[in-house]
Amino acid sequence: MTLLGKLTLQAIPLHEPLPLFSGLAVVIIALAVVAWVIAKGYLPYLWREWITSVDHKRIGVMYCILAGVMLLRGFIDAIMMRTQQAMAYNAPGFLPPSHFDQVFSAHGTIMIFFVAMPFVIGLMNVVVPLQLGVRDVAFPTLNSVSFWLTAAGALLVNLSLVVGEFDKMGWLPYPPLSELAYSPGVGVDYYCWSLQISGIGTLMTGINFVTTILKLRAPGMHYTRMPMFCWTALASNLLIVAAFPVLTATLAMLLLDRYVGFHFFTDTGGGNSMMFMNLIWAWGHPEVYILALPAFGIYSEVVSTFSSKPLFGYRSMIYATMAICIISFMVWLHHFFTMGAGADVNSIFGIASMIIAVPTGVKIFNWLFTMYGGSVRFNTPMLWSIGFIVTFAIGGMTGVLLAVPPADFQLHNSVFLVAHFHNVIIGAVLFGVFAGYIYWFPKAFGFTLDERLGRWAFWLWLIGFWVAWGPGYVVGLEGMTRRLQHYDVAEWRPWLIVAEVGVVIILLGIVAQIAQIVVSVRTREQRRDVTGDPWDGRNLEWSTASPPPPFNFAVLPDVTDQEPYWDMKARAREIGQLTRPEPNYEPIHMPRNSPTGFVTAFLATVTGFALIWHIWWLVVLGLVGAYATFVVFAWRDHDEELIPAEEVARLDRANRAARSAALAHRQLRRESQRESSQ
Amino acid sequence: MSAEGTALRAGRDPYHIGHAPSTGVPEYTGHGAGGPAPKRIVVGYGFWIFILSDVILFSCFFATYTVLIDARNGGPGPQQLFDLHNTAIETACLLLSSFTCGMTSLAVARHNLLWTEITLAITGLLGLTFLGLEAHEFHALVALGAGPTRSAFLTAFFALVGCHGAHVTCGILWLGTMMAQFPAKGFKETIRHRYLCFSLFWHALDIIWIGIFTVVYLIGIITP
Amino acid sequence: MSSHREDFDEFDLGSRVGEDQVVGAAPSEAPPTLRSELRSYLTGLALAAALTAAAFWALDEHVIYGPGIVMALIVFGLAQVGVHLVFFLHLTTSPDNTNNALALAFGVLIVSLIFFGSIWVMYHMNQNMIPVKALMEMRGG
Repeated sequence: MTLLGKLTLQAIPLHEPLPLFSGLAVVIIALAVVAWVIAKGYLPYLWREWITSVDHKRIGVMYCILAGVMLLRGFIDAIMMRTQQAMAYNAPGFLPPSHFDQVFSAHGTIMIFFVAMPFVIGLMNVVVPLQLGVRDVAFPTLNSVSFWLTAAGALLVNLSLVVGEFDKMGWLPYPPLSELAYSPGVGVDYYCWSLQISGIGTLMTGINFVTTILKLRAPGMHYTRMPMFCWTALASNLLIVAAFPVLTATLAMLLLDRYVGFHFFTDTGGGNSMMFMNLIWAWGHPEVYILALPAFGIYSEVVSTFSSKPLFGYRSMIYATMAICIISFMVWLHHFFTMGAGADVNSIFGIASMIIAVPTGVKIFNWLFTMYGGSVRFNTPMLWSIGFIVTFAIGGMTGVLLAVPPADFQLHNSVFLVAHFHNVIIGAVLFGVFAGYIYWFPKAFGFTLDERLGRWAFWLWLIGFWVAWGPGYVVGLEGMTRRLQHYDVAEWRPWLIVAEVGVVIILLGIVAQIAQIVVSVRTREQRRDVTGDPWDGRNLEWSTASPPPPFNFAVLPDVTDQEPYWDMKARAREIGQLTRPEPNYEPIHMPRNSPTGFVTAFLATVTGFALIWHIWWLVVLGLVGAYATFVVFAWRDHDEELIPAEEVARLDRANRAARSAALAHRQLRRESQRESSQ
Repeated sequence: MSAEGTALRAGRDPYHIGHAPSTGVPEYTGHGAGGPAPKRIVVGYGFWIFILSDVILFSCFFATYTVLIDARNGGPGPQQLFDLHNTAIETACLLLSSFTCGMTSLAVARHNLLWTEITLAITGLLGLTFLGLEAHEFHALVALGAGPTRSAFLTAFFALVGCHGAHVTCGILWLGTMMAQFPAKGFKETIRHRYLCFSLFWHALDIIWIGIFTVVYLIGIITP
Repeated sequence: MSSHREDFDEFDLGSRVGEDQVVGAAPSEAPPTLRSELRSYLTGLALAAALTAAAFWALDEHVIYGPGIVMALIVFGLAQVGVHLVFFLHLTTSPDNTNNALALAFGVLIVSLIFFGSIWVMYHMNQNMIPVKALMEMRGG
């Protein structure tokens, strides 16, 4: 047994220019960033304020940054695939098959697990405690552990580019191909271990948020007074708690097959590969609702704020959300209609899949009715929401089409299917998180983003998306199957070239988004959010300063109705001053920062890497280290720190002064308008 | 707010389904509208949700076991392999350990270090006995050529029962840590909360074992 | 108010899963004594032991109608789970425990969907599979 297990120098792709150079580029950029941070002396600040932070706002921002960076990686994979398919008509293209396979697998894995999930979880992290009127989530240190474990998973997947290979089976490694006999390399192991690690992080997030939403709310906030985003966050996190154990179990079974010769899914010894598909999709379908539900919640917030109206049909929204939550666990077989369960089983799941469109339709009508009769402001988040309604409605309809088993028999695993799920995921989830980050950016950072570049980004994305994926429906109906490295059907070629144009337009959209952030940071003083309420918001997060103090609220708000902040504001505007007098400031206990999350993730990465490469002594070390971390954490005497009353007062008074000034200014303007109109 | 008052209101739309709530805090307890819940409740509830997620994990292994139960690959089945006497003793060990764990809860509530340590030690010993018996059973099966790589049925059996055993092992490690923490840290709030989580975990393990001995061993023995 | 709450927390009802109390409200039951708690655990132990013994006994003796034995075992098992939940985990249907009971109900729903759903689906899948022997013959093996 060698010291480094299966790891040899051959794991590094020295003879393959594409991964070699891209890997090198990433390593150089990463090292440059780290060097810059250290040279500028930012490391202590980063360690103290971000890496060891257990503050939900900081953790949420880090999640979103991780998601944004991984979006770039996943998008580069997308460009490679589109380009390959545009080129490879009766030609080999530039990506050899084994690379193409890894690219489409990495693309899917990264986009779902390390872009969509972290983005959605990040936004929930930043916003939910603020909307609930509380100081933090239920388990702040666990929150930090969750984030860092997700980052560890992302790191492992990206490591596979440079050391070893990734899996080639797509984003779900179906056996028997993914079994050891047919995939002896480390690719599937990279996939499985990185998802096991980040999966634990996600499960912890689910537990954290379910507990927070159900047990930690401001006084007076009944369930029917919670903002819609918190309801969808609850539904999504309940699904996380329900579904992620299934993922953990299924990947564990695959790993047991690969590592110890078990026979869960092998094609020998009595194993049943179909059970893998069954279990993995029992996770996989709730997973997409885990992504979509918070996005729906974002739209509820954005549409009501920018229509200057309360959300239409709040109660029906709750029923629709919880109905989607429950039904989403009853439709999973529609991902494998063609696997042969027979007509009876197929029809029941087909009907259930069609039924789940109904509550979704209810939600869309509620958003439309919210806009109707409101004074709509077309800020960028509102544009994203309208783009979503159009895009997602069409994508959802193709989904109902696919829910019909006979139709699915023709279209399963065709590009029609691929177009459908890109349509719904980009239309609902991606547009949603884009709307969300622009909407809540000023809350997190204290200044709004540049509107003009935001609009450019939106239109480029919207047009680019339809140019890229509209053709997908067409070639799918013309018979093109997914994941083709090359093809020889002349009809498909023009469409695939159009798709390539589309992806270039999206690339411009992404450039616009990056430019928006760069420009906005440079000119941030012009768009400072002084009062904490740049959009005339309706829920409690807009009652805090931008960015909020670490304790969120100096005094937990008393909630007497839905949209508590809107009522407060309306009364304040009536009387021309803040409704509540200055409170008796008291010292506040906040949880202490802790390196537990970072250390746990570091050990997880090391252990994961060791497991992938069969470096057994390192695995033992990693596990011992994990137990030691738990003991050290369990042994600490001080888990809270006190923020003195003076500090609380200083921060709160500053915000109160800004808001009073804004109110007075508003009053003056109103009076001068009245005078000038007389 | 008296218990009778609560009961009276409960009959009259306590969840305000019929109309929007106008003011104030609801009369019923347990709905979190009285502000953030105390730490003990938050910790207990969070861990309860974790237990449920763990039960869902086990249900996947149960489902896989039931699906693969007939995939013998020409090898032995439950009737040839299971020793019910062993199972009965394992069951008794776990059930008793659940009881002694309950005794520990009583001791912790009364801040009695001696009884906490004694009952924890007995719980741990019973748990170790369970693990020893299970390891012995596994070893015997492997020696018979009926190890987990023999057939899909045996794979599923070893995975399900082994997963439970792995959880018990983690539980014993946790128990040992608690036995060290009580003398070192006393009965501080955080230590008591940690113990609450441990006892939830330990009881849940016994609940899972009920499923295992019923579905795997007992039903396995009588079905052909 | 707060001192009352501290007194109550002091009592710390062992492994009770979290119960909600409105600040200052009396608990919906009087704080238990050592005797009553001990009795609760002993009752639970006795019931669980009896149910376990019944399950093992149902196999050995020819008392239960053959095809009904599996059903009896499932009933005994579920009953014992209930005994554990009530006597060891103190999960009741009181309004203080609503959230816990609801969470349990959600868990039971998901477990049922996964367990029975998988069995139902896989049974049908297996039915529609070509038997291995016939498959081998088709391949000319």
